[in-house]
Amino acid sequence: MEKTFHTDPVAREHTFARYLARTLSTSAAEQLENHYLGCDECFEELRATKLLIRELGGMPVDSAVERTLENVMESALESALAGDVTVIRFTGSAQLTCSSSDLSALVRMVDTRGDTKVLIDLQKVSRIDSTGLGMLMRCYTHAVRNAGVLKLLQPTPQVKRVLSLTKIDSIVPTFEDETAALLSFRDLG
Amino acid sequence: MADLQIEKFGQKLRFRVCYEVGFACPDIDDLVQETLRRFLEATRADKLRSEEAAAAFANGICRNVISEYRRRLYRDAPMPEVIPEPSARSLPETEQFELRQALDEAMKQLSPRDRLVLRAFYLEEQSTEEILERTGLTLENLRVVLCRAKERFRQIYSRSVQYRAASNH
Repeated sequence: MEKTFHTDPVAREHTFARYLARTLSTSAAEQLENHYLGCDECFEELRATKLLIRELGGMPVDSAVERTLENVMESALESALAGDVTVIRFTGSAQLTCSSSDLSALVRMVDTRGDTKVLIDLQKVSRIDSTGLGMLMRCYTHAVRNAGVLKLLQPTPQVKRVLSLTKIDSIVPTFEDETAALLSFRDLG
Repeated sequence: MADLQIEKFGQKLRFRVCYEVGFACPDIDDLVQETLRRFLEATRADKLRSEEAAAAFANGICRNVISEYRRRLYRDAPMPEVIPEPSARSLPETEQFELRQALDEAMKQLSPRDRLVLRAFYLEEQSTEEILERTGLTLENLRVVLCRAKERFRQIYSRSVQYRAASNH
């Protein structure tokens, strides 16, 4: 790792980005930690990368760039009507974390639509962090304030664990079965 | 280990601990101190096989300290997932403002193309090949974009460290 790191800065930056996004494998992350704990240069670079990523995540994007990103974001989500319920699904594997574009796409979709009955399918969401939880609660509050209802469907075991630990599953109704979830909206009239 | 080395090593351990437990964890300092204590104790007892293995050895100790902490915490109460880092909260307002301005300035200096490239590289985790194909850049161009952006942020980071050091005295 040391050799590659010091000769190939692009590869090093890729590894840093994946480490900070927590998508690096456990063994690769451990290898990187073993390295930066002993290497001042790589540690400084890692901290600078973290700062850069944080700023990139929060920066306003130019309209032209935004349009490109919007297309990318919206393609990650699809919504369908089941009766009067809007079901929002991720088309591919997704993460609801602070650095993920899936999260912004979801919030944008829920915020900009006027649907009153929304079911979010979490089947393809592999990770959620506190930012993701905050945003889910924001979507829920947005729905409730507009006299609507928001429910969750089929969270993966990892997401389910977090929802349970934070007790969000006791606030936002969560279902394992889509038919049961859709039927539950009927009771609301 | 000289004082300066210990201080630098402590910074690295702090980063490592924060990465694992989140930046809002109230016990970060305790975890760093405990790791350092065990590491120095092991070094004094000649348990370290070689200088080269020191970082991996410290990383192992740090992992154990965090695991023990989590086990203890889980026994008492459920622990939330990683919490995002609060923005430079420990700095006085004027310095926070200056740093914020420096960061905004650094972001403004990036051209729209550079921002697109950096977002693709760091946030969307696209491969180098994909980015080169999408933007029409050469590998050398990409390297220059990355290096230029990183240099600005490295300078800002050093400045924030100096601010912190000064405000701690």
